[in-house]
Amino acid sequence: MKLSSIRPIALLLSRELIVTALLLLGVSFVVFIILYLSPGDPFSALLNGQMAADNASSAGMSVAWYAQYLSWLGNILRGDLGSSLRTGLPVLNEVIRVGINTLYLTIGSMSITLIIAVPIALFSARRGMNVYNWTFTMFAYVVSALPVFWLGYIVIYVFMHKFGLFPLAFGFSGTKLSWLYFLLPVFVLGVGNGTMSEVVRYLREEIGRVFSEEYIRTALAKGGSIWKHSFKEGFLIPITEIIASKIPFILGGAVVVEQVFNWPGMGRMAWQAAQDRDYPIIMGIAILSAIFVRLGSLLQRVVYIMVNPRASRE
Amino acid sequence: MKRYSQVSVEIGEFSNLPFWKKTDSMDLVYVGYGLVIVSLVVVSYILGAFNLLPHDPQEINIDLLMVSPGNSGYLLGTDFMGRDILSRLIVGIQAYFLPGLLAITIALVFGTFLGVLAGLCGERIDMVITYIANLVDSFPRLVLILLMVAAFKPDIYYIMIIVGITNVPVVAALVKSKINFLKQKNFIEAATALGLSNRVIILKHILWYNCRSVLIIQATLGMAEAILMETSLSYLGFGVQEPTPSWGNMVQAGANYFMQGKFWSSTAPALAILFTIMGFHLLGDGLNNIFERKRNK
Amino acid sequence: MKRLQGILLLIFFVTFGIMVSQSEAARKKDGRPDGGTVKYGEFGRPTTLDSITSNDMISLRITELIFNGLVGIDQKQEIVPELAKRWEISDNGRTYTFSLRKDVTWHPREGEKPVPFTADDVIFTYDIMMHPKTITSLKVRYEFIESATKVDDYTVRFTLKRPILNALARFSFKIIPKHGPSNSNYLTRKDPFVHNPIGTGPYMLKDITADREVILVANDNYFKGRPHIDKFIAKPFADQNIMTQALMFNAINMIVLVNPRNIPEIQGDKRFVLQPYNALSYSFFAYNMRSRLLADKRVRKAFTYAVNRQEMLNAFFNGQGTLVSGPFAPGSWAYNLDVQSVPYSTKKALNLLKEAGFVRGANGIMEKDGEKLSLILKVPIEKESEAVKRVVLAFRSYLKKIGVDIKVEFKEWLSWKEDVFLKHNFDIIFASWVFDDSADISSLFHSSEIGPWKNNFGAYSNPNVDTLIVESKLTLDHEKRRTINRKLHAIIAEENPYTFLWTLTNYAAYNKKLRHVAIHPYKFFTFADEWFMPKGGRR
Repeated sequence: MKLSSIRPIALLLSRELIVTALLLLGVSFVVFIILYLSPGDPFSALLNGQMAADNASSAGMSVAWYAQYLSWLGNILRGDLGSSLRTGLPVLNEVIRVGINTLYLTIGSMSITLIIAVPIALFSARRGMNVYNWTFTMFAYVVSALPVFWLGYIVIYVFMHKFGLFPLAFGFSGTKLSWLYFLLPVFVLGVGNGTMSEVVRYLREEIGRVFSEEYIRTALAKGGSIWKHSFKEGFLIPITEIIASKIPFILGGAVVVEQVFNWPGMGRMAWQAAQDRDYPIIMGIAILSAIFVRLGSLLQRVVYIMVNPRASRE
Repeated sequence: MKRYSQVSVEIGEFSNLPFWKKTDSMDLVYVGYGLVIVSLVVVSYILGAFNLLPHDPQEINIDLLMVSPGNSGYLLGTDFMGRDILSRLIVGIQAYFLPGLLAITIALVFGTFLGVLAGLCGERIDMVITYIANLVDSFPRLVLILLMVAAFKPDIYYIMIIVGITNVPVVAALVKSKINFLKQKNFIEAATALGLSNRVIILKHILWYNCRSVLIIQATLGMAEAILMETSLSYLGFGVQEPTPSWGNMVQAGANYFMQGKFWSSTAPALAILFTIMGFHLLGDGLNNIFERKRNK
Repeated sequence: MKRLQGILLLIFFVTFGIMVSQSEAARKKDGRPDGGTVKYGEFGRPTTLDSITSNDMISLRITELIFNGLVGIDQKQEIVPELAKRWEISDNGRTYTFSLRKDVTWHPREGEKPVPFTADDVIFTYDIMMHPKTITSLKVRYEFIESATKVDDYTVRFTLKRPILNALARFSFKIIPKHGPSNSNYLTRKDPFVHNPIGTGPYMLKDITADREVILVANDNYFKGRPHIDKFIAKPFADQNIMTQALMFNAINMIVLVNPRNIPEIQGDKRFVLQPYNALSYSFFAYNMRSRLLADKRVRKAFTYAVNRQEMLNAFFNGQGTLVSGPFAPGSWAYNLDVQSVPYSTKKALNLLKEAGFVRGANGIMEKDGEKLSLILKVPIEKESEAVKRVVLAFRSYLKKIGVDIKVEFKEWLSWKEDVFLKHNFDIIFASWVFDDSADISSLFHSSEIGPWKNNFGAYSNPNVDTLIVESKLTLDHEKRRTINRKLHAIIAEENPYTFLWTLTNYAAYNKKLRHVAIHPYKFFTFADEWFMPKGGRR
């Protein structure tokens, strides 16, 4: 890379960072507005400490919404997301603790989705449709259309009754097959998150498009490898794009899969919080999952800029 | 359409090829399958609306709980309250009709509006709209819905509003890219030069002539999504509530017996969901491919 | 207010015969082996782990392992010494003096020496419990105490506002250490102590894993002798079907409360013991007297006649329970067995409605003066609420037969509670009361308990009942109280503010390797220090 090209890249990257920060600010605002508009009064529960006390003492003097927002935002930036109404534990610790578990699940599922989808897409793009491809494509359609919790039940049932394995012994160290516990929910979510068919289709189109581009043809004519030349544009970029855009879906699916497989993650906590109207917790989870999503996009943009600095300058 | 039939005729000449190689005819199969499903959905909607059912879907029979399929005059068996699964399956589609329509309408109306704004009103507005779209995309749907459930109440219409809103960016992006495509071909300049009013250009030439296929596809996908989302929420307890049948709450209720080997009461609605959603997806994809090819010719 | 399977619970306190005891608890020399782990499944997670701020059954069960009260209860439901080795009650019944054990120490924090338990801890617990800023549901139960004073390091004296019957049993509240909470005046859920408590009980909190398992280990210095089982682990589940499968596949070895649906599955398996325990609870449909339609006793009575309760009990709960006829905890001494449960009779129901002036209108729905007999039944949403759904839907279909239109409205737990207890915006609800063991129903049916967040949410008011309730509370004569309560039972059964349904037999399921399992009907783990696993059979 030439020196001259580094500066624009740094510039572009910092621009992406600013955009991400702005989006996260927007995220906090959306969460605030939803809670602010809700008929209950979650906000007095959220603003702990001084604000709430001031509020109470200045009898009847209602604080303007933007003041509430700013003080709440200030708390968040200081890492103070309040504490759970149910357990009294500080939200930040709680949410991060379960967030890590969900992150494992998400990353694992994403890999499963890609491990299944990429070969199908590659071969159908390169070789055209054949009977195997077609079968796999149909499989992708079928699993995308199944209710994910039901798929989970099937998998558990099959494992128990066919293989005599109970795959849910999370935390049972010492059992030889305890790794199965991690694998099954990851597999179920990876397969059943409803995005498989879309991922296959998108990758097939992108890869197909790149294969038919001039420069690839030229390279091929010169006897170069098609994979080598099309890797960056035909493979890396579409894949990072699909990862970034599917993170929210997988996080959503995790809510259900975590219930079925008793996975101690964010989704399970979000469900419990919705049940108990534990606003601080669910707010924390919404913000953290938005952070995950934004970081995913940021990563995608970074890859895009690194691979293709000129195109991204437009 | 004319051009499309020519294509399929050409392909018909290679009839010795196995059918999956004839991707074009595959699209027809997809679309055909999708249409069959859609008409089945419509037929069951009509059957339900006119009460042409084998049993009363609400009738509880305490002596016949969890009857297996084919027994006691129940073709698909009974559920945990002794109610006929077939009848509930038929009536269950109604649970999605209005809510699904609501989700689709929100997505299409706002999506198109924002898409047109982003496409035609310059870079600044486009930036703002991209920002909003990214913002909406930042939330996992189910988490956003749980937030709404906690803040307001679990109501299928609230939930469908969220599903609709979260689909707005998708539609907006599609419309925008269409408009950019038309711009590249100087289509809009030409239309303005011809003295057509902006309203006519946008409504008739952009949206009607060029975007309707995209929008129809989005509508079918939106319906599929509404059904899947309701199913997940039913599992979590926030979907359509008893005694109103929905496929989601039927799968959920039946799944309680899954581990005991009583599969039927969740399998029937789960398969209904499977076939329907596949139908919508394949219809969407098939139409998409057909329209794309038509445009490229 | 407590909660169990999405149904609301109410705790009252044990009222039992006074027994003065003097015996020192013996060290465990029963020859049973030590060792083994009990890993039990719970549907959900505990809120907090201390005895004061927690308010759910899951927490209650854990605190039973960690803490002790001044007095305890034995398997015959009799009061026995625990942290207090003996007590004296003054002749006027107003002062209770407890002599405390001197051999009790608090669970040591890591790297610290065990602190001895003294009278200061008792006073501290009482003060903190009664502090207005402390968040607890216990406060109302101890308002009968006027003051608590420390006589010396191992003697405390409680003075009552007025003598009450069976006050001794109420001194079973759990004692927390003075050096425990970081705030020594009051306790909220923000205090670290509530998640990391220490007590005097048979088990000490060791860890809460990332998986939210609560791990408790045996207290070697437990004053009743080291408990036999080495470890208790509470494992939270988010899906009851999966929890049962976890038992079947030895991922856990106990379920404290088996879902009725899974009973046949476990029953057929020789590896497990299915042990019934009778929770003092019953389910009911409650009517809102504020509704003009339901203010008429005949209408309410008609509803009760119209519902075939035995059929529901058989079909939905495998017949594992008994029908109840009145407001007292079934199985308690206050329950009047002479009052018969209302039989199922559609005919009588229709006659009663007719008597009340209802006629069949269009669509077969009963009408009176143009007003349709159409009512809203509110039910809390739970993910796993099949039993609730079944009862509610069956109720709806029974009432449809006599021309009553019931609209079922599912609401999530908190807004349901708001609707019922605060806004009183409902016609009928389905719920359960769970009693610790009590004859005290004053908060359910006394007219002074009508109001926001009070338990007489149906606004039932009858001067006669009010008088009897007060009389029953004031009397110090057990027999007299029994007579009054029997009368109350009969009146309330006749007036029908609730359609009393049934009391269910709860089942705990556990692996056969676990022996000598005695279960407290409410607190569950009270006798867990006696449980054991024979050597060789452990996992």
